[in-house]
Amino acid sequence: MSKSSVYSSPGFDFSNIVRNNFLHEKGLPLPKATSTGTTIVGCLFKDGIVLGADTRATEGPIVADKNCEKIHYITESIRCCGAGTAADTEFTTALISSNMELHALQSGRKPRVVTAMTMLKQMLFRYQGHVGAALVLGGVDSTGPHLFTIHPHGSTDKLPYVTMGSGSLAAMAVFESGWQPNMEREQALNLVKAAIAAGIFNDLGSGSNVDACIITANSTEMLRNVEMPNVRVQKERDYKFRRGTTAWKKEEIRSLVVEETVTPIGRGDEMDTS
Amino acid sequence: MANADGGAYSYSLTVFSPSGKLVQIEHALAAVAGGTTSLGIKASNGIVIAAEKKTSSILIDDSVIDRVAVICPNIGIVYSGMGPDFRVLVTKARKSAQAYWKIYGTYPPTRVLTQEIATVMQQATQSGGVRPYGVSLLVAGWDSHRGPTLYQVDPSGSFWAWKASAIGKNMVNAKTFLEKRYNDDISLEDAIHTALLTLKEGFEGQMTEKTIEIGVITVPTPEELEAESPDGITGRVKPTFRKLTEEEVRDYLSL
Repeated sequence: MSKSSVYSSPGFDFSNIVRNNFLHEKGLPLPKATSTGTTIVGCLFKDGIVLGADTRATEGPIVADKNCEKIHYITESIRCCGAGTAADTEFTTALISSNMELHALQSGRKPRVVTAMTMLKQMLFRYQGHVGAALVLGGVDSTGPHLFTIHPHGSTDKLPYVTMGSGSLAAMAVFESGWQPNMEREQALNLVKAAIAAGIFNDLGSGSNVDACIITANSTEMLRNVEMPNVRVQKERDYKFRRGTTAWKKEEIRSLVVEETVTPIGRGDEMDTS
Repeated sequence: MANADGGAYSYSLTVFSPSGKLVQIEHALAAVAGGTTSLGIKASNGIVIAAEKKTSSILIDDSVIDRVAVICPNIGIVYSGMGPDFRVLVTKARKSAQAYWKIYGTYPPTRVLTQEIATVMQQATQSGGVRPYGVSLLVAGWDSHRGPTLYQVDPSGSFWAWKASAIGKNMVNAKTFLEKRYNDDISLEDAIHTALLTLKEGFEGQMTEKTIEIGVITVPTPEELEAESPDGITGRVKPTFRKLTEEEVRDYLSL
């Protein structure tokens, strides 16, 4: 399916999808993308939004990262939690963050959450669900606090409390029994912590620590590892071997440290205007 | 052939005159010299850039005019010359800064961004069917490698660093004034006062907070630099460049 013309047509080229499916049918194992598994939540409270996320990244059955960051920066007052394929959520949020800053400079206005939502959904729809990013977008702008979910195919929902990821059912159970409108900050934070904890303990794809982010009109507070319910206990025994346990016949010691001094010759890195 | 104004050589940009000049660029510099004055002063702990907001009629709503522009959190630009050309260059500079951020994860150092803008301006001096940009720019920025730096970019695409400079209508007098008043350890506060005095020298009419614009680079403290590092918990780098509000300008003017 190679293009003979030098001009590439606009839009995404899906020809690799066809090839990959063909290879898979022939028996080639598809590479496993790092999936965040994940429990991510967002909830509206009296003064703004609280976002929460767990910190486990999985590669199939293996934990790839025990303390990854799933709450991504979009703008100063807008953050986005990402579930799904880790690379997809990272790059998508970074791209939209950059475009939001450009837009804010050009328009001269503080950026709005709906702008980020529109940029994200239009990009995800363009890729027809192949960009596996399921996002919880929340923030406060000049029109007030807003909370959205964005699914990999590009659909969005606007709600007062949302959960996404493999642990979303566990977290939603906590939200459904605990959420009330106009909660105080402490109440909202505790609810979010409880929801993420439900995901951590009841879902295999989520684990480790709880991250939270509280966004209000005046400030954004990033609470990294606000709760660490899975700290590794200290080992009961000391497993070191006594020096001399293994006998040796010969000993030779060499230093691998190279001593060097750098003498700059010429003008350094100044511009040559001669 | 070899007239004072270039004669036949002055109409095509891609043709050198016998004296070795590209006459179109000379004409572009004349357009700059006819523009409203702007200046920049590098202090020991920051940079100030300022410009007159001269309008051709009192009926113009000057709150919409933007002489000093933010490119990214650590770089700001001011110009003298043709406003529309400046607008286009600012958009390109902003996109260039974001493109750099997307690749390297940090905002470009001032010199790198200045070089990119200068390249864009140079390309308009060596292509067919285009004319040079009729602006000179003063680019002020802070980066961790060189600290605060101030660059001037000309329509030819050449750029160089200044400790203090002025461009536009009143640049000769302003530069003489700055030469007398500048010293290497001037503080940012003194630099702002000096900038205002320099602008006042050639100002026609009333100099108020509505007829001048000031942008300021402040050097981040060690604590702020610490917060930016991968272990620190802030969203992105704290802006070092900002435009002064009208109230702040009024306070400086009243001193």
